[in-house]
Amino acid sequence: MLTAALVLGALLAVAAVWFVARPFLRNPGSEEPLVEPDRAGRERLALEEERDRALAALKELEFDHRTGKVSDDDYRSIVGELRRAAADALRALDRGRGRSDVHSREGP
Amino acid sequence: MPELGRAALVVCFGLTLYAVVAGFWGAHTRRRRLALSAQNALLAAFASALVASVVLLAALGRSDFGFTYVAQHTSRELPLPYKLASFWGGQEGSLLLWLLILTGYGAAAVLLDRKAGRELIAWVVPVLGIVAAFFSMLVVFVASPFHTQLAAADGAGLNTSLQSPYFQIHPPLLYLGYVGLTVPFAFAMGALLSGRTDERWIVATRRWTLAAWMFLGIGQLLGAKWAYEEVGWGGYFAWDPVENAALMPWLAATAFLHSVMVQEKKGMLKVWNMLLVILAFSLSLFGTFLTRSGVLSSIHSFTEGSIGPWFLGFICFVVAGSLVLLFRRLPLLRSKTRLESLVSREATFLYNNLLLVALCLTILWGVTFPILSEAVRGESVTVGRPYYDFFLRSFGLPLLLLMGIGPLVAWRRASLRSLGRTFLWPFAFALVAGGGLVAAGAGSSLPGLIAYTFSAFVIGTIVLEFARGTAARRALADEPVPKAFASLVARNRRRYGGYVVHAAIVLLAIGIAGSSAYDTSHTARLAPGQSLKLRDYTLVYRGLRSTRAQNAVETRATIDVYRGGDRIAVMHPGKNNYPVEQQVSNEVAIRSDWLTGEDLFLITEQVNPNGTIDFKAIINPLVNLIWLAGLVFLLGSVVTLWPDAREERRLAVRYGRLAPDT
Amino acid sequence: MLAVFLLYSSIAGGGTPSLRPSSLAGHTGKVSLTGYVLKPVTGDAHGSGLRFRLRDVKGTATVPVVYKGSVPDLFRPGRDIVVEGRFQNGVFVATPGTMVTKCPSKYVPKTT
Repeated sequence: MLTAALVLGALLAVAAVWFVARPFLRNPGSEEPLVEPDRAGRERLALEEERDRALAALKELEFDHRTGKVSDDDYRSIVGELRRAAADALRALDRGRGRSDVHSREGP
Repeated sequence: MPELGRAALVVCFGLTLYAVVAGFWGAHTRRRRLALSAQNALLAAFASALVASVVLLAALGRSDFGFTYVAQHTSRELPLPYKLASFWGGQEGSLLLWLLILTGYGAAAVLLDRKAGRELIAWVVPVLGIVAAFFSMLVVFVASPFHTQLAAADGAGLNTSLQSPYFQIHPPLLYLGYVGLTVPFAFAMGALLSGRTDERWIVATRRWTLAAWMFLGIGQLLGAKWAYEEVGWGGYFAWDPVENAALMPWLAATAFLHSVMVQEKKGMLKVWNMLLVILAFSLSLFGTFLTRSGVLSSIHSFTEGSIGPWFLGFICFVVAGSLVLLFRRLPLLRSKTRLESLVSREATFLYNNLLLVALCLTILWGVTFPILSEAVRGESVTVGRPYYDFFLRSFGLPLLLLMGIGPLVAWRRASLRSLGRTFLWPFAFALVAGGGLVAAGAGSSLPGLIAYTFSAFVIGTIVLEFARGTAARRALADEPVPKAFASLVARNRRRYGGYVVHAAIVLLAIGIAGSSAYDTSHTARLAPGQSLKLRDYTLVYRGLRSTRAQNAVETRATIDVYRGGDRIAVMHPGKNNYPVEQQVSNEVAIRSDWLTGEDLFLITEQVNPNGTIDFKAIINPLVNLIWLAGLVFLLGSVVTLWPDAREERRLAVRYGRLAPDT
Repeated sequence: MLAVFLLYSSIAGGGTPSLRPSSLAGHTGKVSLTGYVLKPVTGDAHGSGLRFRLRDVKGTATVPVVYKGSVPDLFRPGRDIVVEGRFQNGVFVATPGTMVTKCPSKYVPKTT
């Protein structure tokens, strides 16, 4: 009973060690670094969040306007701002994309 | 085989330590294989905890009294379900359950979220590892469930008050809730550590928080129902420190679930959301500490174990560590947008947050006041029901009102004209309902009347929201009403699931107000044949009967219940006497009227030698709405939790690109 | 502001000192008393009142207690209870229906 328990415990320990070591066993040698987005990547992510936020807000505003929660006046005054925000984000994204394309073409 | 259990826990401890060290090192030096290996360690830790749990369950099931834990918490004749449920009947087993659930959540988070962002998960793993290492340290060195002894002939048995079906489901649900709050905490810390404070951690966390919050809420309601049926004083919540301990993290998580929407839609409240996640997790640790350390007197006095100081130290470490980290990352959390108007959806969320956090902190203050006053004045001063009830009313009623206002106010800003138009119907409905209630005599309790009027307002709002949404959807897609309704909910699960949860809270409020503000009770000593009048009920005591059950003498009174001249029920409140345990338990009789939601609650308080009984009858109006609220709450939470394929795709496009293809 | 409000309300109203039998002397207001129930328990909780003595949970000082109202299931000599009331002329007169049993055996086996 005791030995069976100890054998099982040892097996568990070995299995755990093997499982933990697996990432090293599978592709020894080559170390692929964790991808961290660079500065440009972060900026782009922020812009994308901005764009999605504006687009989602536009969609919700349309819906609220249709259900009558937002009056015509309020709708008119807010919809312009949101469209502008979405357009700004899109434009900035385009510009960024253009830049990074150039950058990658210049790269090795 | 206790050795296997012990070995599995040691392995688990080693794995979690490795996950911490390798995880931090791998994330810091950006070594992908090291980070992956730490993730695997967390998965393997779950497997080891599972092995240990199976060993303990098997021992409980086989009544292996060589295990000290089994001998202390079960006995031979205990039914099998209770034997197995004794897993969480004691301190050591409860800690093992914490560890099992924690590593389970950790493994699930690794498997489900690792595609969403590798470098975020790389930082999340060591944070989860720290918490898991703390708990495995406790079960290995301080409170091991695998202590052995010379096998006893029989165990000490399970306390009779725990022998209830609720014991099988209430504690694990609460633990799923408590422990689940670790995952959002780990993601928040992961985001701060990695310096990646975009919205990804929020996206990954939202659903985990919602799940933990749902379990915590359902667990608490089941606990309330257990208390109501078993403890037998006619109530369901007593502001006991242990009950408060579960309520506080739930309130903090509720605040987070609301304020997180403001961050998603407006990019605001980033620091505040971090603080709420830290608060919720610290409170869940604090709750475990309260129930486990014996520092407070509570009706749930658990073992006064040796783990109190460990917990206190760990809580201090968590709070201090996370706040220092948050402070150092403050520059990254600045938001670009500001609040545009005090009359807007985001503003109502802000008010809601302030009220929820205020309520949470008042309860925290009430719970810790005895300890603080003992330290300061040398005399422990407890605050009781009046304190809590006062603050529940002062913060809870405005919260209820906000639940009706919030959905009607548009994001960004709303002009008075729009407001007038949207508020018209709910407001009129509330006014009519309030007037009707006054006419019906509900004015006997002002808080009750206010609660009901506000509830009517919220219901008006919810119905209006669903109706207008369906109408708009119908006009848009030319669909019949049921289909339009279904697609409305399917397209906006979070919004409409949220409204369903709101409806559940309204039911809860109506139930609480009804049973606490409009209850009636009467106590009398009755001889056989005598009767007692309570409102429109007449209760006639017919006599006593005693039967010998397997392990108890069951004494039951026979009460005929009349209403309007008809005998509507025969009820049998009584007492059980357990000779072996030398324990008496009240067996109350409850008759629920499903039409009005009201309970007739009978207690035989004392059986006298001459055949008379001291008898208490309580009418709890609307109390059944509280249990109904639990079902509606579950429904709303599930609707909200249900994955939205379109949103998943959108987020995958946004964040998936950063990770290399797997 | 909130903190001040809370401080005020908990000190001025609602707060009940939590005492042991040995620290009862000198308190005339409403207090909550924690102690260990000693044998014998006499009287009738629904008649003239249940009479028993409470001892410090870890100590020797005792005080007589009179209690009326609902008696929790777990009440009996050898248990720790909490009860609210006033100390009058050497007797602790409990507020009806305030007795709560602390139940150390809830999660711990009997050691006998």
